[in-house]
Amino acid sequence: MSRFSDYISQQSGDLWHVFVTELKRIVRDPGVVLIFFIAGLGYPIVYNLIYWNDTLTDVPVAVVDMDNSPESRRFLHDWEATPDVKISYICYSMQEAELLMKQQKIHGILYIPSDYSRALQTAGAQAHISIYADMSSFLYMKAVYMSANMVMLDEMHNVQIDRYERMGMDDQTAWTLVQGIPYEPVTLFNPDGGYSTFLIPAMLIMILHQTLFFGIGMLAGTAREENETLYFLPNRKRRRSVFRIIGGRALAYFVVYLGITAIDLLLVPRLFHLPHVGNPLTIMSFAIPFLLATIFFSMTVSLTVRNRETGMVTLLATTLIMFFITGVSWPQELLPKFWLYLSYLIPATWGIHGFLHINTMGANLTIAALQYHALWGLAAMYGLLATGGLWLQGYLYEQRQAAKQAAELPDASLQNTDHIVTT
Amino acid sequence: MNYLRAVIVRELKQIFARPLYIFSSVVMMTICVVFFTTLMTSGSPQRMPVAVVDHDQSSISRRLVHEMEATQSVTVVAVVPTFAEARNMMQHGKIYGFMELPENFYADIVAQRRPQIAFYTTQAYTVGGTTAYKQLLTMANLASGAFQREILRMKGMSEKQIMNIIQPIVLEAHLIANPWSNYPIYLLSTILPGILGVIIVMITVFSIGSELKFSTSPQWLKEANGSFAIAIIGKMLPYTLLFLIMGISCNMLLFRFMHFPVYGSHWGLALNMINFVLAEQCVAIFFIGLLPTLRDALSVGALYSMLSFSLSGFTYPKMGMLPFVQALTNAFPLRHYYLNYVNEALMGASFMQCIPQYVAYICFMFLPFLVFKRLHGAMVNLNFPKK
Repeated sequence: MSRFSDYISQQSGDLWHVFVTELKRIVRDPGVVLIFFIAGLGYPIVYNLIYWNDTLTDVPVAVVDMDNSPESRRFLHDWEATPDVKISYICYSMQEAELLMKQQKIHGILYIPSDYSRALQTAGAQAHISIYADMSSFLYMKAVYMSANMVMLDEMHNVQIDRYERMGMDDQTAWTLVQGIPYEPVTLFNPDGGYSTFLIPAMLIMILHQTLFFGIGMLAGTAREENETLYFLPNRKRRRSVFRIIGGRALAYFVVYLGITAIDLLLVPRLFHLPHVGNPLTIMSFAIPFLLATIFFSMTVSLTVRNRETGMVTLLATTLIMFFITGVSWPQELLPKFWLYLSYLIPATWGIHGFLHINTMGANLTIAALQYHALWGLAAMYGLLATGGLWLQGYLYEQRQAAKQAAELPDASLQNTDHIVTT
Repeated sequence: MNYLRAVIVRELKQIFARPLYIFSSVVMMTICVVFFTTLMTSGSPQRMPVAVVDHDQSSISRRLVHEMEATQSVTVVAVVPTFAEARNMMQHGKIYGFMELPENFYADIVAQRRPQIAFYTTQAYTVGGTTAYKQLLTMANLASGAFQREILRMKGMSEKQIMNIIQPIVLEAHLIANPWSNYPIYLLSTILPGILGVIIVMITVFSIGSELKFSTSPQWLKEANGSFAIAIIGKMLPYTLLFLIMGISCNMLLFRFMHFPVYGSHWGLALNMINFVLAEQCVAIFFIGLLPTLRDALSVGALYSMLSFSLSGFTYPKMGMLPFVQALTNAFPLRHYYLNYVNEALMGASFMQCIPQYVAYICFMFLPFLVFKRLHGAMVNLNFPKK
């Protein structure tokens, strides 16, 4: 019994020792402080500043009105009234407008042909309007095209009523016919439909994931430079201590990141008016397996990092892959199967989807159960991999040391035998 | 000249002595290219999952579901009886939108009592949500059109007459240089050079910084006969060549093999790439000169490189940013690369329009001169912390 309690106290003492050592290593390393604290807390603010306006408004456009009729002017007036575009130039030919587009002074052109009003007034004729959108950014196209489309639909209803009335219907009948099946579009979540309100919540998770990833890589690389076996515990049988080492270090990152996570996921959305319909307690409960999975994932990968800096030099470019593979920007349904399955192994994938469901769409842990359990699964898997990997590295190291000693041994044994002989 | 050759040979030996260099550049870039070119095989969003809440369960509501099924952009994954169930599916992330058809939908249509359709979309996922929104909007309009068609048919009108009444205005979309609104064209043409930029900054900082960290810079200078200029140029040249090959092959892949649109000249695009590579290298030399400690320069280089993707304005345009952030975009070579790419490939604009960007590239190339003394001092005296 006393041996058991000795064992426990020794184990927890070791764990505490590793935990405190790792905390000291974090705060004493300016590179890690830069990644964990400056990047981990600064990036959310920087991205909010970059995407400040949320949606694109008043995109400059040009119009070419060859008709110049009350009808065409009404269309242009209604278009100008939408928040999306601003008519900056009125051109008299397409060439003129195209030149403005080439010079990037405008990002869309609306062309109304000279027979527009005549076609509208002729029963049974169809009027054509052309819209030219700048495709250098998806958001230009969205603003220019969707706003013109909305105006066109409105205008279409007016013309339809006009035509029915000319066919001899009264106002009420015509209206009932045109609005026979009225519809109402509702945006349930992220109702502003903004770019930042969509992107930044996902980025917040990505920032936590990547700063942990590179910070842990840097700490592991530094430790490896100082001591090939990652500072095994003093005076213990070496390989048996891997659980305490992995556990103590992970606990240090976890404690530090619990604070950073609370600020990034709870405070930042409220400060910058991002969606935050999720329950804070739910978010933090969800963050626990996310952080553990990310920490153990990073520790597993960092087993391969030999120098302090190499992790970042080699793997920084993969940040883009990690972001796109999560299927937030490009829908998950369209990912090729190979990338989809690979994305399941990355904690950020489950983290981002779970966080969007909870924070933006108000899900609870029952609804986000898939992501929540997947993260616990990844935490367990990477926890074991990190421990096993470290054990293996320690084993190989001891083998090498033994081989080295064995190589030196013949001399030593010879000397010994000499000694024996002489005595 | 002999000294320059000596420095180049020394650098080539280093590049091949450590797998890190080739792995972080060629292998990493290849992985990224393969990833991004295979990621968006469908080009535009297709078959986004949506649901229908059918309170009516009539032949007409089933026909509507059927017609939605027939479209390219959405697919109906479920027909559910209640709003709560559909909303729940949305929170699960199973659907991007749903349409709610009211009770007595069919009967109300026939009696001309104007039954209302509602459709709900989520913008928590912008691409899926927007695609679902567009298609549901179209479906709602089609339903209204179908209703009018039925009534007019009963009045004995011909199909053509009906069509022109229902659809009196047609909006023809001309999407310049990207007629099918193909996503890879938006994304790949700038994100891949951006990734190359990240690799250039990290490798350049590492190659110079590790000389300082491992105190080998005096020997490096000795090979160059003490000339700082020869030392730097000789060290950079093998990488310049490597990055140029990577950059130009990347352009070849996009504009030749994948047939991304080029309205201007391929030579213009190549010139843009050459200047971009040189500018990124000079930015990296500036970082290691400013902070002659490997780990500091790498961290700052990494933070800077990651911001270039947002600040180049190729996803979220510059005009939507705060004024001081707009000014900041100029501090990233990728921003200038993107502008020239738009001018050259999408717009086929005159070279005059690219000149401001080339002036910016030249400014980047002068950056190393600002830190020349500091970096030279660090190389000779090794007077900065190594860890």
